[in-house]
Amino acid sequence: MLKEKIVKIKEEARVAVENAKTVEDVLQLEIQFLGRKSEFVGILRQLKDVSAQEKKEVGQLANSVKVEIQNLLDQKKKNLASTFDAKAEKIDVTVPAIKLRQGHLHPLTQIQNEIEDIFTSMGFEIADGPEVETEFYNFDALNMPKDHPARDMQDTFWLKAEAGKEKIALRPMTSAVQVRYMEKHQPPFRIIAPGRCFRNEATDTTHEHSFNQFEALVVGDDINVGNMKYMAEQFFSAFFKQEVKVRLRPSYFPFTEPSFEFDISCLVCGHKGCSSCRGAGWIELGGAGMVNQNVFVASGYPRGKYQGFAWGFGLERLAMMKYKIDDIRHFHSGDLRFIKQF
Amino acid sequence: MKYSYSWLKEISGTKLSPEELIQGITMHALEIEGVEKVGSDFEGVVVGEILEISKHPNADKLQLTKVNIGDKVLDIVCGAKNISVGEKVPVAQIGSVLPGDFKIKEAEIRGVKSFGMLCAPDELGLGSDHSGILLLEKSLKIGTPLSALFDEKDQILEIKVLPDRAHDAVSHVGLAREVAALDGDIIEYDYDGLKLAKKKTSSITVSIENKDLCERYIAAKLDNVTIKQSPQWISTRLERCGIRSINNVVDVTNYVMLELGQPMHAFDFAQISSGEVAEIIIRNAKKDEEIVILDGSVKKMSSDDVVIANKTDVLALAGVMGGKKSGVSEKTTSIMLESATFNPTSIRKTKNKFTLQTDAAMRFEKGLDPNIAEKAMVRAIELLTHITDAKLAGIVDEYPTVKKTWTIKLDLKYVNSLLGEEIPASVSKKILTSLGCEVKNSGKDLIVTVPTFRLDLLTQEDLIEEIGRVYGYEKIVATPQMVSIKPPVASEKRTFVRSVKNVLVGLGFSEVYNYAFYGRKDAEAAKLQTFKHLELELPMNCEQSILRVSLIPNLLKNVRENLKHTKEMHIFEIGKVFLPNDAKALPAEKNMLCGIVVLEKKANKKGAQEDLQQTLFFSAKSLVNNLMIQFGITDQYYAAMEDGFAQISKTFCHEGRASEIKIDGSDQAIGCIAEINPLVLADFDVSGRVAFFEFDLELLQNISNAQCEFKSIPKYPNVMRDIAMIVSGGQRVDDILAVIQAEGGDLIVDADLFDIFDFADGTSNYAFHIMLNAENRTLTSEEVDIIMKKIASKLEEKLEIKIRK
Repeated sequence: MLKEKIVKIKEEARVAVENAKTVEDVLQLEIQFLGRKSEFVGILRQLKDVSAQEKKEVGQLANSVKVEIQNLLDQKKKNLASTFDAKAEKIDVTVPAIKLRQGHLHPLTQIQNEIEDIFTSMGFEIADGPEVETEFYNFDALNMPKDHPARDMQDTFWLKAEAGKEKIALRPMTSAVQVRYMEKHQPPFRIIAPGRCFRNEATDTTHEHSFNQFEALVVGDDINVGNMKYMAEQFFSAFFKQEVKVRLRPSYFPFTEPSFEFDISCLVCGHKGCSSCRGAGWIELGGAGMVNQNVFVASGYPRGKYQGFAWGFGLERLAMMKYKIDDIRHFHSGDLRFIKQF
Repeated sequence: MKYSYSWLKEISGTKLSPEELIQGITMHALEIEGVEKVGSDFEGVVVGEILEISKHPNADKLQLTKVNIGDKVLDIVCGAKNISVGEKVPVAQIGSVLPGDFKIKEAEIRGVKSFGMLCAPDELGLGSDHSGILLLEKSLKIGTPLSALFDEKDQILEIKVLPDRAHDAVSHVGLAREVAALDGDIIEYDYDGLKLAKKKTSSITVSIENKDLCERYIAAKLDNVTIKQSPQWISTRLERCGIRSINNVVDVTNYVMLELGQPMHAFDFAQISSGEVAEIIIRNAKKDEEIVILDGSVKKMSSDDVVIANKTDVLALAGVMGGKKSGVSEKTTSIMLESATFNPTSIRKTKNKFTLQTDAAMRFEKGLDPNIAEKAMVRAIELLTHITDAKLAGIVDEYPTVKKTWTIKLDLKYVNSLLGEEIPASVSKKILTSLGCEVKNSGKDLIVTVPTFRLDLLTQEDLIEEIGRVYGYEKIVATPQMVSIKPPVASEKRTFVRSVKNVLVGLGFSEVYNYAFYGRKDAEAAKLQTFKHLELELPMNCEQSILRVSLIPNLLKNVRENLKHTKEMHIFEIGKVFLPNDAKALPAEKNMLCGIVVLEKKANKKGAQEDLQQTLFFSAKSLVNNLMIQFGITDQYYAAMEDGFAQISKTFCHEGRASEIKIDGSDQAIGCIAEINPLVLADFDVSGRVAFFEFDLELLQNISNAQCEFKSIPKYPNVMRDIAMIVSGGQRVDDILAVIQAEGGDLIVDADLFDIFDFADGTSNYAFHIMLNAENRTLTSEEVDIIMKKIASKLEEKLEIKIRK
């Protein structure tokens, strides 16, 4: 008896839901079929008066029907709700959006991040040192004798001396970090030391008295020139995302022996020679060399025990190549019309 | 220095073409900065004799000449005035091609036909002289091709010699050794054969007062000297290497300098001797002693300078420039040649002090081998007696300590290990030999005797460099090194700085880089002049003379410049400030972050709250809060400016709108936030208002490093209540919040000021949302009522507040 009633309610509900036209209709049907005062709930209340066996059977049926009706109602509601008038809500998509404030990293920061990431992935640590340095770390420890031309006033920004104190200067290169690091660490190691350097020279489109250098230093028992070439080729190939060859030419730096100028193959033509490299096939990029034993000794290592290489290059130069920037003075201009391009 | 290819070829005996030589020098020795092609084959240019000169009928400045060139007589129109009948001159015939691709054609000049050209030196590529036609030796045979008289075509190489080679490679002989080494040869020049003749003279005495100042002094007297023009081959080589030809004696000293690297000087013997004897003294100058040097200027000296003197006069500024009076002149008949070795440091000081960048000083200041002085003297005497009728009277050589060769034991295993390339012992040996070393085998080592002219070769590594570069770095194979694989220790500082930059960019800030200096005027404008600044000894200019103690002055200049193009900006800089340290030589370097906010002035709003919240300060404050949240910092509070962290920044702040940033439980400020004092802005020519915030990055990093710990997500619902109150003017919101927090205790999740309304009488209406939650139960409404009542009564009791019911 009860079972039939339930089946009948189910059939009535199915038809009613099918015919519903609006969401309001469906809500009305929900009250009508499953609400507290509905026939269905009335039937369930009668269950307390029937036998245990019947109670079980009817109960199960009632539950499944309830779920079924609820599903029908939910489905219908969803279907009705999802129809809307797109035309009425049409917008002109070409109206400009609100301009959100947009920040920009300085191009040198971006280049530095890239370089740090490449070196870190090759197992290098990042070292750091002060921008104002003592005469010892700037020169003496780097094997620059007292009367070396690089100490001339023309090149180095010396700071006014204070009586009784060691002479200090703005570091002319990041190499000062070498000795500071080696005093505290034992080989083998691989480090890079990025940072700001200063030279007392007139500024023009390619020269700046404040610039950023990148120093790499690798020291071990048997580090050699071939290793340096390899490391440089790996780095520049990763940085420029193409195969880059490195060429070493003889040079001189007090803190390395042998010393090199290093060139990289032209990024446009390989190393065949084109208008971009003015036919040379190679682009001059920086200085390098095998660490002078005197620098190891100044750092507290025994003479002749270790071998290592060091190289340095300017960040600005790389940024200028990468972004085709024609004037180095833009970097320190603070001009947002420049910075916001990056 | 400029080098002549043909001269190098002559000394080295190389068979390399100029192009091969340039490539070889670049890859194995020195950097070539430029190459200039000079001279010509003088094809079609011959010696001619002027037979007749007559006036040009139509031009006052031109003359008509008849010139005999042997097989014919040519009519040639000429403008130069220095010609006369009987002179021998270079004649470019029709069809000749002169340097600069200048073709000689038959021409009609003001109505008269001309069949060739008489040439001035510059037209032939022989220097820059255009004052007249080149007059040749009268003894020359008519019709002789000019190529028989002059250096033919040449290439001049401009080469950068670095300090380590400045004592030997700044000479043709020095570079020729490099050239010969490219082929594994030794130079053809008889360097070892240059030995002083044993011919003493009593006409010169030499006394070196201070041996440290002069390692060697050789003086030679030459008699029967006629001062005149040098032969063309000498003046051509000089001019091509950038030295002006003066007269035969001076030219020879310069020629020898270019050849061997040793500067020399010639004195007029009559001017430096008293009677028969020149008593030369090398000594320190006396204080305020004066000399008129060759360029005519008067130099007042000090005891740092070294002079060549006799008993009565100063004759020369040693190694830098000769005296005007003692130099050779047309009347000179007898000379004293000087070839000496002076102390490099002393020469550099004098050179720099008087800014005399002479060729001599620039060589002496690098330090020279005293044994080259001898070679140079021999060579100069040889040349002078060859090109003039000069006779050597005798030589004095003062050489207290003879410089001897030294040996280095070179471990061949080390050569290979450092270069990363197996180089056969025989190759190493050959390379060192061709560079002038003597090399002997000794087991697995080489015993290398270094010639004194290679002052730079002192260690094994120096020799390895010679082997490596001549062998060829391009042959060394790029090889990966063996390393243990372990993650590098990350630099927390760098990582932090990078994240700060990224967060700020996300908040709409753009990054600038400024110089580490500013000028005194900037310091004053920012009221920073009372703080000690480190000062540059020799600044570029007065705007960049002191090291910054704050990032603000340069940032304000950025604001001023950018305001020319934009009305709003959010910029930041991370950089070091330099705070002088009384006890230590080095200053304290602090890595600072400074952000700047400039907003366009908007039309006034209706409500007080909007107005207050929209001032610059609060805009900056909300950005700072966001920045700090990114680094897990939520318990900061804002306190009045004190003298701790903000000691420096306080000076340029707007006093009524300035605050330090501190962390709960600590009294140490880690940053500050403020508007810039409008008067300071005016001094920087900035119109409008500017807010800034500043952090010491190290302090900020330390706070952010504090371990972040998970708190369980609330299980029970939040309850929200509002409370409104009338507050008297001057009541700080922080104090109200403190009372709310104290009374509500752990149950207060958040208290938020959501409405402010200012009344005319100076009081304001504040309304707060208060959110409550308990960890272990659902708060009942009765419970919350009690707390709210407690808060209300406490607020009224402690502060000047009336709660609105």
